[in-house]
Amino acid sequence: MPDAVPALEARHISKTFGELEVLRDISLVVNPGDTISVLGPSGSGKSTMLRCLNFLETPDRGQVLLAGEPVGRRADGRLVSDKELAKSRARMGMVFQSFNLWPHFTVLQNVIEAPTKVLGLSKDEAVARAEGLLAKVGLADKRDVYPFALSGGQKQRVAIARALCMKPDVLLFDEPTSALDPELVGEVLAVMRDLAKEGMTMVVVTHEMGFARDVCDEVVFMDRGVVVEHAPPAEFFGNPKTERAQRFLSRYA
Amino acid sequence: MTGTELQMLLSGAWTTVWISAIAIVGGVPLGLVLGLGRVAGIPVLSQLLALYISIGRATPLVTLVLLLFVGLPVVGINIDAVTAGVLTLLLNTATFNAEIWRSVYQSFPRGQIEAAQAVGMQKGAIFRRIMLPQMSVAALPGLMNEATLLVKASPAIAVIGIVDLTRVTDRISARTYEPLPPIIAAGIIYMIIIAGMVRLQRVLEKRAAKWSA
Repeated sequence: MPDAVPALEARHISKTFGELEVLRDISLVVNPGDTISVLGPSGSGKSTMLRCLNFLETPDRGQVLLAGEPVGRRADGRLVSDKELAKSRARMGMVFQSFNLWPHFTVLQNVIEAPTKVLGLSKDEAVARAEGLLAKVGLADKRDVYPFALSGGQKQRVAIARALCMKPDVLLFDEPTSALDPELVGEVLAVMRDLAKEGMTMVVVTHEMGFARDVCDEVVFMDRGVVVEHAPPAEFFGNPKTERAQRFLSRYA
Repeated sequence: MTGTELQMLLSGAWTTVWISAIAIVGGVPLGLVLGLGRVAGIPVLSQLLALYISIGRATPLVTLVLLLFVGLPVVGINIDAVTAGVLTLLLNTATFNAEIWRSVYQSFPRGQIEAAQAVGMQKGAIFRRIMLPQMSVAALPGLMNEATLLVKASPAIAVIGIVDLTRVTDRISARTYEPLPPIIAAGIIYMIIIAGMVRLQRVLEKRAAKWSA
């Protein structure tokens, strides 16, 4: 399906923080149902790139398109209103490294907040949807618990359920396992693996090489703010073309 | 002290309680508006609020109450002593509360706001649903501390003739020629008022404790 409209596309994104050029002319195409891993050393700009996709960071130049429609900035370059940006964001879920659950809400309240307040679902509809998702991530019995009583892995699975409850077209993951104790990484990756299998469109910034190799359809390798390589995982891991990628991979061998 | 004098004492205590209560109940939300307005980055307004907060915190209560009571009639606004007293305490406590609200606002975890933005919530909803409930809990000890300070500083408004719990002790000793008993009694009543406020704070904190481990 080469002529299908990409689920998400970034065109020539650039971003500077003061003097520092964090992203230089980044382009990215995510086809519907694909899972893309973004790899790279820390400081390579991969998180900033991800955050530009839903305009948590405003790119200085370039365009983001969600199913062909501009996000955050009109074709003429003007920024869209808060309301319009919120509408685009509601269609893209995001999962953060530090979970970012709302501590004053129970697990269930965390999951149904946006579906009821943003999508306008009735409470019953939202609760039914949320309970299904909590069961799916293995946390049905935690629905009335406050986040402080959860482990890191459980928090992250709630955060995934929170994002899924919006029925997003795309899910963005910003190093979702980097803040977890090693023995808790597996439970979060298992949920992400299932989502990929079900055909969820995902962009995953990660250091989990196993996940990138086994689950993803494509690997994007970034270094110093540019996309250095862009290949299917078998090719990237088996036969990296650039010296930079080879060096990066040798550290994980 | 006889029954009449005890009645005078209690009436003074009541004056202190209700004047302080109005100032606190009004000064907490006014402080929120001032504190947020100060950091909102609105040209001119934010600077004016910063100036107001600095002046408000630096002005002694006695000066402020005299300024209002004597000054406002000069510009044609008539004001009675009690109104001037309430207004003084309210305007003063609001400037301190503004700083408390500002600091809890500025230290609010950025990630929670981003999580709300990422699911498509807009500024108003994020503030109301996510930030304000948590900011209130974080601000509570500071606000309550300021409220107790206000009660203890409230005798300043007696300078324009309001007979509060402190001023009434003068009146009583003028009748009994025994200054010590009413002063001790007033001290005990102040302690009871403050103890009640601290108890209230405990109750509110306990309600929040179920989510702030």
